[in-house]
Amino acid sequence: MKVKKFIAKAKEYLGLHEFDIKGKRKSVTILVEKLRAKDEELRQNKGKNRDEKELHEELEIIDLHIKKAEEILTKLNKKKAIEEK
Amino acid sequence: MQKIFLPTILLVLAYGFWISPDFKEISAGVAIFLFGMLSLEEGFKTFSGGALEKVLQKSTDKVYKSIGFGILSTTIMQSSSLVSILTISFLSAGLIGLSEGIGIIFGANIGTTTGAWLVAGLGLKVKISAYAMPMLVFGVIFIFQKSKALKGIGYILTGLGFLFLGIHYMKDGFEAFKNTLDLSTYAVSGFKGLFIFTGIGILATVVMQSSHATLVLIITALSVGQISYDNALALAIGANVGTTITAIIASMSSNIQGKRLAGAHLIFNLVTGLIAIIFIQQLMQSVDWISTKVGIASDDYTLKLAVFHTIFNLIGVLIMIPFIGKLVTVLEKVFKSEPAKKGKSKDTVRYLNESVLALPSTSMAAIIQESRHLYENAFEIITRGLNLKKANVISSMKLEEVIQIPYSDKPINIDEYYNRKIKGIYGEIIDFSTKAQAQMPHDFIEELYKIKLANRDIVESVKGIKHLQKNLIKYQSSPNEKIKKQYDKIRIGLAELLRNINIIATTDEEDVIILLLSKAKIHAQRYDILANGTLDTLIRNQLITNEMATSLMNDSTYAYNISQNLIQMAEVILIDRTGHIKNLEEEIHINEEEIENLVDKKEES
Repeated sequence: MKVKKFIAKAKEYLGLHEFDIKGKRKSVTILVEKLRAKDEELRQNKGKNRDEKELHEELEIIDLHIKKAEEILTKLNKKKAIEEK
Repeated sequence: MQKIFLPTILLVLAYGFWISPDFKEISAGVAIFLFGMLSLEEGFKTFSGGALEKVLQKSTDKVYKSIGFGILSTTIMQSSSLVSILTISFLSAGLIGLSEGIGIIFGANIGTTTGAWLVAGLGLKVKISAYAMPMLVFGVIFIFQKSKALKGIGYILTGLGFLFLGIHYMKDGFEAFKNTLDLSTYAVSGFKGLFIFTGIGILATVVMQSSHATLVLIITALSVGQISYDNALALAIGANVGTTITAIIASMSSNIQGKRLAGAHLIFNLVTGLIAIIFIQQLMQSVDWISTKVGIASDDYTLKLAVFHTIFNLIGVLIMIPFIGKLVTVLEKVFKSEPAKKGKSKDTVRYLNESVLALPSTSMAAIIQESRHLYENAFEIITRGLNLKKANVISSMKLEEVIQIPYSDKPINIDEYYNRKIKGIYGEIIDFSTKAQAQMPHDFIEELYKIKLANRDIVESVKGIKHLQKNLIKYQSSPNEKIKKQYDKIRIGLAELLRNINIIATTDEEDVIILLLSKAKIHAQRYDILANGTLDTLIRNQLITNEMATSLMNDSTYAYNISQNLIQMAEVILIDRTGHIKNLEEEIHINEEEIENLVDKKEES
C-alpha cells in the first residue's frame, strides 16, 4: 500500500477526512448567524438618525453575503452527503 | 571564550576516554541521549504547524492557562529547553505577551520534573534498551518516507529510542565505573557539599545544554550509589539553574521581549534554587514525609530525588505567581525598549529576528506583524499626504469636517518619509521572507506569497499618494469650486477607506469586517469618473479647464489604485488568520460582477 493511500485510510479510520469540511462548515454557519444578526440590527436602526441611502446599501451588502454564505453551506452539505454514501 | 572552551572540553573528554573505557560508555550514553533529544525536537517541530497559534491563543490568555500549557507541552516534549526556545520565538513574533510567556516558563519548570519520574520510575526499573531497538528501526523507516506526518513520527520514535539507549549506556557505564573508581568517596557533606555540587550541576547543564540530560546522569549515578543522595539533590538544584543558559543563548538573537523572558527564566530559577538551598533540610523532611505517604521505600533514592525535584519547582512556581506582574515591571525597566523614534530617524523592524525562525508559524506571524507595522507607517504617510490629521481620520468625526482641518499648510516630503519609514522595513520583510521560506511547507509558502504582494500593495499606495499630493494641495485652495469639490471627494473617499481599514484591523467581529470590505470595494468605483459621467458633465458644461480635467482623470486613477491596493492588503494582513473569514478565503468576498450589480442598485436608488 502506498504511503498516501495508507494515510488516507488512517484518516478515514480516525474520522479525520471530515475535519476540513467540518471546519469550513462551522465557519460558514457562524458567519451566517452573525450576518443575520447584523441584518436585524440594521433594520432596527431604520429611521434612527442614520442616512437612509447608507443603510440601504449596507442591507444590500449583508443580504448578498448571507446568500453567498448559504450557497457555500449547501455545497459543503452536498459534499458531505456524497461522501457519506 | 568559545575558542578556549570547546578545545578544553574535547581534550578532557579525549583524556577520559583514553584512561577509562567506562567513562567512554557514560559519555557515549550522554551523547546518545542528547542526540535523542535533538531528534525528538525535530519531530515535534514537524507537528507544530498552523494550529499552533490557535492553541496558543486559547491556552495562554490567562496566566494559569499558560502555566498549564507549559506543564503539558514540556511533559509531552520532555524538553524544557525546547519549550523555552519556542516561547521566546512566540514572544518575539508577538503571538503572546510577556506575562503569558513567563507563565509558560513557570509551567515548563514543573513539566520538566516528569522526566525525573519517568527515568527513576520506569527507566531504571524496566530494561528500556529492549524497547529502544524496535523504536529506532521503525523510526528510521518512517523518516525515509515522503509524508511530513510520517517523518515527524519517525523523528519522535528515533528520538525516544536514542533517549532509552542513552539511559541504558549511562547506567551500564556507572555500574562498571564503580569497579574501577568509586565516586561516592568524593562525596562532600553539609553546606559546603551543597554549594560545590550545585556548582557542578550548573556547569554540567551549561556544557550539555539540557537539564534533562544532567538529571538522567544524576539519577543513573545515584541508582548505582556513585553519588550520595544529598549531593544528588544539590546537583539537581544546579541543573535547574544551569538550564537557563539555553534560553539566554536563544534570547541573544531575539528582540527585547525575548531578552526579558530569558531574564525572567534566570530570575525564577535562581530564586527557586536559592530557596531550595536555604530550606534544604525542611525540603528533605517533606520529601521523606511524602515518600512514606505515597509508598516510596525509604532507600529508593532515585524516586525520592524525583519527589524533591517536583516539590522544589512547585514551591518556586507557587511563590513566584503573585510576583509575575512585578517581575514584568522590573524586566521592562531593566531591558528598556528603544524609545519611539521621532523626527528624522530611520524606522527599523520590530518583529523579524533569528529567534522567530524556530517554527514556520512563528516566522509567518512575525512577518504578518511586521507587515502591519509597515502599514502603520504607510497610514501615517498617506494621511499626511492627504493633508489630514491621523487622529481625526480614526475618530468618529464627520469626514466632511475631517478634510477641513489640514495637517500642515505646506506639502510634506513623501520621498523622505518613504526612505525613512517604508523602504528599509519593506526590504527587510522581503529579505526575511526569503530566509523563512526555505523552512516552510508548501501551504505556508502560498500564504507568504500573498503577504509579499500585500507589502508591495502598501508600498504602491505610498508611491500613489506622492503623485496625488501635488494636485490635492494645488486645488484645495482653488477659486474653482467645482474642481475643489472633486478633490475634496477624493480626500473624503480615501479618509473613509483609511478609517474603515483601521476598524477592520482592530475588530474581530466578522460581520463588520465583511461589510466594511465590501463597502470599500463598492466605494472605490466612485473614482471611475469616466464611466459614471462626472468628467463628461464637468467638461461639457465648461465647469473646469482642460488642464484640470487631465489632472482629475489621472488623480482619480491614482485614488482608485491606492484604494484597490489598500483593500487587497487589508484582506491579507489585517484579517485574523485563524478566524472564520480566513478559513473561507476568497469564497466569501464579493467579486467584480457583484460589485457592479451593487453599484448599479446604488445608482438606481
